[in-house]
Amino acid sequence: MSSWLDYTINGLIVGNVYALVAVGLALIFGVSRLINFAQGSIYLVGAYIGWVAVVQLHTPLPLTIIVVAVAAAIVGLIIERFGLRPLQNSVRIAPLLATIGISFVLDQLVMLTFSPNPRALPSQLPDVRFQVGGGTIGPLDLLIAGVGLTSALLLFVFLRYSKLGWAVRAASQDRDAAMQMGVDVNRVNQAVFGIAAALGGVSGMLVGMYYNQIDTAMSLQATLKGVVAEVVGGAGNVPGAVIGSLLLGLVESYGVAVFGTSYRNLFAFLLLVVVLVLRPNGLFASARQAPPEPLTGTFIAPSRPVRIPRWALAVAAAGFAVLPLFPVSFYVLQTLINAWLLGMLALSLTLVAGTIGQVSLGHAALLAIGAYTSALLSLTFNVPVGLAIIGGGLMCAALGTLLISPSFRLRGHYVSIATLAIGEIVSLVILNWESVTRGPIGISGIPPLSLFGTDLISPTSIYWFSFAVMMVLALLQGRLLTSHLGRSFRAIRDDDVAARAYGLSLNRYKSLAFIFGGFAAGISGGIAAHLYSYINHETFNTQQSILALTVVILGGLGNVVGAILGAVALVGLPEVFRIAAEYRILIYGIVLLLLVRFRPQGLLGTM
Amino acid sequence: MSNIDRRTLVKGSLAAMMAGAAFSRAASAQTSEPILLGVSGPLTGPNAQYGTQWKQGFDLALDEIMAAGGINGRKLAYQFEDSQSDPRQSVAIAQKFVSDPRIVMELGDFSSPASMAASSIYQRGGLVQFGFTNSHPDFTKGGDFMWSTSVSQADEQPLLAAYAVKRLGLKKLAVLHLNTDWGRTSRDYFVKAAKEYGAEIAVTEGYIAEERDFRSTLVRVRDANPDGLILISYYSDGALIARQARQVGLKQVMCAASSVYSPKFIELGGEAVEDVHLGTRYFPQDPRPEVKKFIDGFKAKYGGQEPDAFNAYSYDAMNMAAAVVKIGGTDRRAIRDAFAKVKDVSSVIFGQATFDVESRRVKGAMNAELVVRKGQFALWDGKPT
Repeated sequence: MSSWLDYTINGLIVGNVYALVAVGLALIFGVSRLINFAQGSIYLVGAYIGWVAVVQLHTPLPLTIIVVAVAAAIVGLIIERFGLRPLQNSVRIAPLLATIGISFVLDQLVMLTFSPNPRALPSQLPDVRFQVGGGTIGPLDLLIAGVGLTSALLLFVFLRYSKLGWAVRAASQDRDAAMQMGVDVNRVNQAVFGIAAALGGVSGMLVGMYYNQIDTAMSLQATLKGVVAEVVGGAGNVPGAVIGSLLLGLVESYGVAVFGTSYRNLFAFLLLVVVLVLRPNGLFASARQAPPEPLTGTFIAPSRPVRIPRWALAVAAAGFAVLPLFPVSFYVLQTLINAWLLGMLALSLTLVAGTIGQVSLGHAALLAIGAYTSALLSLTFNVPVGLAIIGGGLMCAALGTLLISPSFRLRGHYVSIATLAIGEIVSLVILNWESVTRGPIGISGIPPLSLFGTDLISPTSIYWFSFAVMMVLALLQGRLLTSHLGRSFRAIRDDDVAARAYGLSLNRYKSLAFIFGGFAAGISGGIAAHLYSYINHETFNTQQSILALTVVILGGLGNVVGAILGAVALVGLPEVFRIAAEYRILIYGIVLLLLVRFRPQGLLGTM
Repeated sequence: MSNIDRRTLVKGSLAAMMAGAAFSRAASAQTSEPILLGVSGPLTGPNAQYGTQWKQGFDLALDEIMAAGGINGRKLAYQFEDSQSDPRQSVAIAQKFVSDPRIVMELGDFSSPASMAASSIYQRGGLVQFGFTNSHPDFTKGGDFMWSTSVSQADEQPLLAAYAVKRLGLKKLAVLHLNTDWGRTSRDYFVKAAKEYGAEIAVTEGYIAEERDFRSTLVRVRDANPDGLILISYYSDGALIARQARQVGLKQVMCAASSVYSPKFIELGGEAVEDVHLGTRYFPQDPRPEVKKFIDGFKAKYGGQEPDAFNAYSYDAMNMAAAVVKIGGTDRRAIRDAFAKVKDVSSVIFGQATFDVESRRVKGAMNAELVVRKGQFALWDGKPT
């Protein structure tokens, strides 16, 4: 019985830690309707500024907090001014990609300045412990809880009673109307980003002190957990974010208590999916509240796609088809093989995200399903590799659609969050379902690609094989887009109410899109499994999902040629920048930001 | 991109032709060009810290090799390509190295998915993949071009089990392990050995690498009522577990795998890692001359910093590479054959390293039983804590 008290206390303690990030995310989402993927990076920056202050400058704690808050706020203001404000009149998806790019740049800058080695960030509070239940809590636990609750309370009061707070709320309800009433929306945004960043920086520092450890990998995890907590509480709702965080902490803690540590995150993400399905606006959204996203499709604004003449496409395709006949190095071929595999994934994602408007952040899970199915079919049941890959595609189409289906009733950002969670769930199931997937040991000795009994092992033959498969999928998808079905997809994306009024069944069409998209992604995963010969639960991770979305947005949502072009660019650029060694991901992030800045609708435009 | 590659290819083959034509000049041309090793590893991304530790070990070993006259008068150098431990990038790097005639062998990658995805390319391309941290039992099964000096967990874990059960007298153990291929394999070997020595396993808990909060896990451990905790962890998560164990009121003896052996473990863990026991392959006061040389050289080169386990692995790996290239020359196949021929290469981890030709691994890692005392790693004096 006393153990349950301990689990509860531990859940609340870690919930406090999540709350610090979630409050900042909620504040920004409340005003800009933007999931700020850079919040974790500001948290990271705050932690390292705190380290400089504490370890190098020996500042006392109150001064440290002020230094970190001010410095982080400045970073937030810079992000708002130069990263996001130029994008405010462009498509809604562009700022999302911009925050991803900004987080790359910030993480890399910190890594280059401080080296990736973890550092100790000593707590400056007296080392006294209070006995609570079987365990103890320290002053830092109380400080973290205090900062979380106080900031939530202060923000609540600020939003409700101060003039700037009214302006913030007005801007979040209707930006244009607020501007007509004389609200300086830019100033509001500045204020919000400054406050959120200050809070993010301080939380990074406090959490660093709590664990006595900071490292450059802490940013993505903080963002992930913060987003989950925030959405559980009701996106944009500041007190809700705190309660969502505590709930998340409790669910994780009880999950560990009942099932064991390796199931911990499974419960976090299941909680999120359940909440989203039952209460799509989060637990604490009132029924009267306006829908969190506009009803019509401004999330993906139509733009004029770049028309590329057919003959040019044919020439380009023919050029790539005969490329191996020329003396190019295997390295170039291998890089392009990677591009074709990513291209297949991007085709899949551009269909579900661009054409029908379900922006998925869990697409790597589809790769994993295809890869494991194909690997296990060929290893355990001796299915020929060609058939096994098709089996992987089919399994992925079926299972992927089934898993994603809970998110069909969601809109806009909520789809992204739900798919993110579903992606994590798939990865954790792979880790824990050892009798089938062999858990963390992974599957080794997967047979190489083969076709009609001949092994494809030379880079040239793998190149042709993957290129041909991708071309077939691309041509099929191009045909699909011009068909009646493709028009129905776009109708749902642009205005689902109108589409329903015309008698289109939303769930059926969304399922059809995921079946087709799942097949393409599953094939890509299957080929990858046979190419790598070894896979485990880490092979297809969250970063791959984010990469796939970046490719799709960069190429132009829904744009088939754009997806392939984006894949070639995002596989090629990091390879081209190899010459820059440690700086290459930084350069990659900057290039990404510039692309979003000057082509927010994507290189080839939305179809 | 293709241009650059073609140019280097042309340059390489031109150099070879010239060397063949004018053999009197060939010798001098050869000595000016360093013998190049390819390294595939993480310099950015979540595992970046390990890539930077590798570099430190490599650079120290190279300094010593050059000071001793290089490889028969030629320079040895490495080209480090950042893979982010991502299989997609490690396979591209593999093709890059295989098609670059200057590269004579490859070292790395760090994680199993990234390393083993590239193995088939190295095997078919006939370039040795020397995976010096690849403990996955299937790594060297990728082919006869895969060699590893990673300490096999089948060797290491029974030593740790003996320390915990026979020497420290622990009877009922809770095992916390990283839920990766390494942690899982290690756990299985540890549990098997500990049971053979007569201990009972009260509970095992696997956690993911990104995990930072262990309090609930530790309550679970407490309720299983063990008399000792076994940490199959790296230093950063090991330090977190030790700190939080004390916070939730666990006072049991803790015993950790050698991968926590790093000054960072003490820096991050603070007082909480006091009295943590660990088995290691070498230790600061180790009287062995190769260890003294390594530690003194490392501290001199890196401003007094103490080397850790990953520094030692990469230092050993570079020395092994040099020994192999000395025998095998610059021919890739001859280098593979040389791995079977090298004998008793001086090594921090193994003392003297000789490959077992069957498994393509090295057996018989050194073992030292340490304990953290007053914020220092010290040889355990046999006194109970």
